[in-house]
Amino acid sequence: MLKTSLIILVLFIIAFGGFVVYDLATAKKRKVVYRFKSSLTAYLMLLPAVILAFVFIMLPILYSLGYAFTDYYLLRPNNINIVYFQNFKDFFEELSTKGTLYNAIKNTITFVVGVVPLQIGLALLLALFVNRAGIGSKIFKVCFFAPVVISLSVTAFLWEQILAPGPNGLLNSILGIFNVPPRDWLRDPKTAMPCIIVLSAWQGCGYQMLIFLSGLSNIRKDLYEAAALDGANWWRKFWLVTWVGLRSTFVYILITVFIGACRILTQPMLMTGYMDHTVTLSYYMYNKGYTERWVGYSSAVALLMTIFIGGITFIQRRIFREKK
Amino acid sequence: MKKLLVSILSIMLVCVMAFGFTACGDNPGGGDTPGGTPPAVDAEGNTIVKIMFHVDKSSTEGQAYQKRLNAFNAAYKDRNIKAQGVFKARSAGASGYETELLNNQLEGTLADIITFDAPNTAAYAKSGLLYDISGLIPASEQEKFYSLNKYNGGLYGLPIQESSAGFFYNKKIFRNAGIDVSAFTAENPWNFAQFKDVCSRLKSFGKIPVDMRIDATKDETAPYLLYPFIYAAGGEFTSTDGYTATGYYNSSATVKGFQFIKDLISAGYTSYAIGPTDFFTEKVGMYLSSGWTIPDLDNKYRDNFASRDDWGLLPYPKDVVAASATGSWSYAITNNHHTDKTAIVELLNWMTSAESSKAITDATGMIPARKDVVTNYAVGSPEYTLLKQLEVSGRERPVTVAYPTFSLTFNQVIAGLGTNEVSSLLNSATNTLQAEMDRLKKLN
Repeated sequence: MLKTSLIILVLFIIAFGGFVVYDLATAKKRKVVYRFKSSLTAYLMLLPAVILAFVFIMLPILYSLGYAFTDYYLLRPNNINIVYFQNFKDFFEELSTKGTLYNAIKNTITFVVGVVPLQIGLALLLALFVNRAGIGSKIFKVCFFAPVVISLSVTAFLWEQILAPGPNGLLNSILGIFNVPPRDWLRDPKTAMPCIIVLSAWQGCGYQMLIFLSGLSNIRKDLYEAAALDGANWWRKFWLVTWVGLRSTFVYILITVFIGACRILTQPMLMTGYMDHTVTLSYYMYNKGYTERWVGYSSAVALLMTIFIGGITFIQRRIFREKK
Repeated sequence: MKKLLVSILSIMLVCVMAFGFTACGDNPGGGDTPGGTPPAVDAEGNTIVKIMFHVDKSSTEGQAYQKRLNAFNAAYKDRNIKAQGVFKARSAGASGYETELLNNQLEGTLADIITFDAPNTAAYAKSGLLYDISGLIPASEQEKFYSLNKYNGGLYGLPIQESSAGFFYNKKIFRNAGIDVSAFTAENPWNFAQFKDVCSRLKSFGKIPVDMRIDATKDETAPYLLYPFIYAAGGEFTSTDGYTATGYYNSSATVKGFQFIKDLISAGYTSYAIGPTDFFTEKVGMYLSSGWTIPDLDNKYRDNFASRDDWGLLPYPKDVVAASATGSWSYAITNNHHTDKTAIVELLNWMTSAESSKAITDATGMIPARKDVVTNYAVGSPEYTLLKQLEVSGRERPVTVAYPTFSLTFNQVIAGLGTNEVSSLLNSATNTLQAEMDRLKKLN
């Protein structure tokens, strides 16, 4: 593997060198103002970053792409065979049995559909609130942002305690005051995923709130004044000024939250374990690769997932494309 | 030109990767040619035998291993054999240690001897990671162990120590509730009906009867502690070759075993809501756990358990047969071992000797792996109960290459018992496990 990686790296450096030579050689023809020494220095300074990006980003992606077409089993790293599209065939066969994979896809869709609007909606509300609040807005900002800086493992553990089953669980004991019987929130298939959605939205919305706030700060105040002079109420000001001003920020947040939501892994792993009602596609992929040791199959799932997320993101970008 | 460069690079990358993925057999760590490399020799002319442990060197267990290695090096100085310990703490659970093992195998640097968790025997043996030592360990020596790491007729490991579990119980609660369990011993265990009766009386007394650890379904805890109930009911999980689950995992006897656990949940004798310290704070009458709870009760919870008069240990209940939990970590010679097999076997024999077995178990509080270790446990003591139970009814978890999938499905069944029918849970688990077994069977 080391030998292969080194060969690929050397090939990449040769190709990069070829590109640099070509670029420098054709610069005169393209009538670009340049100084040979300066350009060469720039490329040489770029080289360490390019190599690092290649080794730590491109190489793992390339390997994963390659493994998707092999029968790589973790315990047999020295006996890998190319199986072409067998892993993809296995994927769709397993999907047809409506087993764990089917549940993983269903749960991932449920999570995405639940968490994306909730998290973005909460972030926008908090941003609007903090933006208006005068004294104490900094305190609110810190409070709302605090969950973002806490480790996801810690927040998952805290919420596990809040949602603990039996009458002594924090949420159950509060509900008990209103004679609501205790529930096993994380083992009940009806409540487990909604709980994970709420936790995730709560944990993540502070970060998007900050991005919305920066978007809000770019909206000119005189637009609101003009709207007020025209007799616009709060809703019309929001819809015609704020929302229009936040459109590009919203698209960015939508795409990043969507991609993050599709990759959900930590919360179900820490809070419920590998259960049919909470397993997600990332968790399924992780489990297949590490616990059950099918690296080839797991890579195929990763490739399909990348294609799916990439496809949806592309559609999102097309839908929300700015009109020129 | 740019397009041409990109195209050439892409083609070259694909060719190199295709070659790279399928040509890893050239790696010096190749597991199919055991004992291929000459042994490392230090400056003093000693043959080095490397042994890899799953614990940190500074831990109590790690120190015990190091002491035994030091003693070996002193004893074998004249024979120019030197043991070298490699300590890799389980940073991310057993799977973290496994990743370390596999990385070493891939790099060709895997130690001559490794420690590994017993349920991995089949998978490691089939994948060629472990060396068959049946020809190196005489039958008379093998008989001295309570259990052996066997797979497909071969011997792939010798246990470091043994483990067993049982029901820790609060003697004060039992006395106050008028429950006498003195007749239930490892040699004469209670049965399912008597177990339920005790639970019923504890519940009537106002206590939560038993913490069965049915909440511990995120790791190996629940499978390790609860699988004996299924064997006790006459059930099985897989065929003896480890490749068939259908007809075993969902058999009527297996259903009966899981149904017993479900009945305990339904009757309110146990639940998923029991806190991790509820037994130690006297809210729960009984607590299913392994031998590692003994030091906790002796030292950490003195306020509620001042002495051993306040707590005891009961064996697993039996139904059709008696069965109890076993299995711990073992030693194995890897297929990456060097050519001086004699030196390696000497170290393996040393580390699995009665003296080493006692030294390690004194440090860990577990049960010795060998029958010839003098234990001096007082009759009726918790340690005695665990040891006797191991002798009388100890039975290992299913030996199958698909063990990780078995463990996952077992956890799913236990987690689902509160709300689902046993048969439907087991049918789903059987389908998942059988599919994995079929897939592994196809692997050459």
